[in-house]
Amino acid sequence: MNWPWLKTRGTPLTPRQLERRGQLPGAPALEDRPLAEERLVVLDLETSGLNMRRDVVLSIGAVVIERGAIDFAQQFERTLNRPGQKVGPSVLIHGIAPSELETGSEPAEALLDFMAFVGDSPLLAFHAEFDRRMLRRALRHSLDYRLRHPFLDVAQLAPMLCPDVRPGKGTLDDWARHFRLQVSQRHHASADAMVTAEIALILFSRARRQGADSLTSLARRLETWRRRERGGLI
Amino acid sequence: MSKTDAFAEAGKTAVLQNIHGTMEFLRKYPPFNQMESAHLAFLVEHCQLRFYAAGDAIIKPDDGPVEHFYIVKQGRVCGERPHSARRGTETTFEIAAGECFPMAALIGERATRTEHRAAEDTFCLLLDKTAFVRLFAISGPLRDFALRGVSSLLDQVNQQVQLRAVESLGAQYSLNTRLDALALQRPVHCARELPVNQAVKTMHEQHVGSIVIVDDALHPLGIFTLRDLRRAIADGECDLTQPIANLMTENPFHLPPDATAFDAAMAMTERHIAHVCVVEKGQLRGVLSERDLFSLQRVDLVHLARTIRNAGRISTLAALRSEIRQLVDNMLAHGASSTQITHIITLLNDHTVCRVIELAIEALGDPGVPFTWLCFGSEGRREQTLLTDQDNGIMFEANDAAEAAMIRGRLLPLAQRINQDLAACGFTLCKGGIMAGNPELCLSRQEWTRRFRGFVRESTPEHLLGCTIYFDLRAVWGPADGCEKLRLALIAEIQENSLFQRSMVENALRQRPPVGRFRDFVVARKGAVKDTLDLKVQGLTPFVDGARLLALAHGIETCNTLERLRQLVASRIIEEKDGAAYEEAYQFIQQMRMQQHQHQARLGQPMTNRLDPDTLNHLDRRILRESFRQAQRLQASLTLRYQL
Repeated sequence: MNWPWLKTRGTPLTPRQLERRGQLPGAPALEDRPLAEERLVVLDLETSGLNMRRDVVLSIGAVVIERGAIDFAQQFERTLNRPGQKVGPSVLIHGIAPSELETGSEPAEALLDFMAFVGDSPLLAFHAEFDRRMLRRALRHSLDYRLRHPFLDVAQLAPMLCPDVRPGKGTLDDWARHFRLQVSQRHHASADAMVTAEIALILFSRARRQGADSLTSLARRLETWRRRERGGLI
Repeated sequence: MSKTDAFAEAGKTAVLQNIHGTMEFLRKYPPFNQMESAHLAFLVEHCQLRFYAAGDAIIKPDDGPVEHFYIVKQGRVCGERPHSARRGTETTFEIAAGECFPMAALIGERATRTEHRAAEDTFCLLLDKTAFVRLFAISGPLRDFALRGVSSLLDQVNQQVQLRAVESLGAQYSLNTRLDALALQRPVHCARELPVNQAVKTMHEQHVGSIVIVDDALHPLGIFTLRDLRRAIADGECDLTQPIANLMTENPFHLPPDATAFDAAMAMTERHIAHVCVVEKGQLRGVLSERDLFSLQRVDLVHLARTIRNAGRISTLAALRSEIRQLVDNMLAHGASSTQITHIITLLNDHTVCRVIELAIEALGDPGVPFTWLCFGSEGRREQTLLTDQDNGIMFEANDAAEAAMIRGRLLPLAQRINQDLAACGFTLCKGGIMAGNPELCLSRQEWTRRFRGFVRESTPEHLLGCTIYFDLRAVWGPADGCEKLRLALIAEIQENSLFQRSMVENALRQRPPVGRFRDFVVARKGAVKDTLDLKVQGLTPFVDGARLLALAHGIETCNTLERLRQLVASRIIEEKDGAAYEEAYQFIQQMRMQQHQHQARLGQPMTNRLDPDTLNHLDRRILRESFRQAQRLQASLTLRYQL
């Protein structure tokens, strides 16, 4: 594959950045150990829009679930330097001012920091596929790095583990409201990551009771669940 | 959100959003609302957030020493311990959002004594012990909160009370000071052979008002005071060369070193003495004088009691009432507990009653028959506050109905005069007519016994109400043995009659503590008392009724509620932990009630027992709610015990 327009967009990496990229750990495989022994990174991205080909990542928020709890000491919060972003409708949603974007971190640095923060931990997100693809594109573009970390989708785990309820349209807001969670500031990447992590903790507690106390068994069950859902739709 | 607002909001957060959000949450609750931002940020940054599904155990006694400081972020945690009477567990307390636990265990570096369980789906913030210890060292508000929490929430309230009550006193002394902590002077003592004039010389040289006569092993044999000297000279005992032993008061009253200043003050007031020996293992350790106590407490209880006993006129007694109020104010300021204060009020009231009776006899002449002045209700239980009315009666001995009627005729005018004089002294006349001047309450012992038996055998609503007043009886003036016989007969009657016990339980359960199922207070919905609850009827009565019932049913003779609870614990009828919890709760409600009375009196308002819980601060509200919950538990245990 040789897509010149991709390569030309990225700024060349400095030797230090290349070195850091080389030190990033490889992608983990899902393990069969109890959830309480995992380190998981829960992330949320704010983007310039919902178009996965054209829009870019504006900010990254992430929290860590380790030994079964959200660890406040490990948090990631970074706004990326995206000059020339137009004040479009999505600005009103993510609330990040163009001025703030201009003072943000250089994307390659921010992404290197983030991937170092992630390490070899599996990732969790609400509507994970969107975050996975946005992040993958950003990493490829800015770092020429291929993201292979496994993602689990909280938006799918929730209805799978709580089959009796269907809160609203199943959005993050709907589930947060269902579990009566407080969101300190909605549409802020960190706050959304936090509430996603809180939902995940509740779901893990359910999963344990349902005998699915590992990432592998959750992933297996998700696959079956997805097939059934798709089947149901057809 | 408008565009400009969105821009204004963005970029403001220098602190990480989630740290900031959690700090904002904590700032709504004590002690976090008093902590410095940097300390609070340190706390949050070192926290983890953990989820517990409803029913999950959070910490258990067998987990070993507590490793974390927990703050409920969302949901509800309850404390559970094995049920005392049946299988299963009972909830002892509840912890809501913003509250923290288990302070005592954490500070004490031990395991928790109560299992903490999630009562519903709950998130807790956990701060590990190392971080807690660091924070504890740097944050004053947290330290204060934690240390106060250890010796129970009530101490916090006491601190507030002491601050609020007359601040100008500024004294650090407490009535709870142990006698051996009072730095007693070396006691002045002598041998029994010492001539009186030598002894007086020694007292003069040492600037003391008393000398203790001891044997070789320092065992106190007697005490000689300046008052004894005055009396000796007045009596014409002028031989001052005779041995001091001839004039001393033998077997002087003494207390152990671990008794408190309060005990000493009470003893002096009760016994009309000005000196108390402190004796340890039979040996004299010190002497405490009324003057020591006064300079210590600035509470001139003993003097006030003496003034009452020597008052020559009803108007003097009436004037002394305001001094009693002031005394209570001072005592609250000195950290006296509600029990101590009600005890003192009762004692001073007893003195007033006795003096009123003596003055009435002087005025109307001796009726020529011995009689006992009885009191009932809160006075009988020694639980009087400043808001009190008369509940009294007379008992005398008579051989038959005719003689009883005759004696009654002689005593009634005196009794009515006493009732009126007491009213003049500030004891409101009883609206229900429970007063000695009422012929139905001026009875011979046989008549009283018959009357009480009627209450027990036939439980009409009127009789049951009567039980709650009359069965807390006590002799205030006159021979007390008749009253004791009456009480014993009553207890025997009740112990045999389980039907009566059950109807007393039903009666006791009618007054429900004013807490709702959803953890808040139940207040009156309309009328002049809208939005208020009654601290006495709804808060104290469940304890008083419950303790009375259990005490009478188990042959416990004392009338005081706390004393009843203690004896019930000692007889293993209620569990020690329960007894302690009831006691704390009862004292807190009583204390809140008295503070309200003092406050109202200071403002010249009529005193009431009704309180709007919304006027309380967060802490008082929480403790009051817990106290009412203890009343609920007591009632629940009665229901269970009598299978209602």
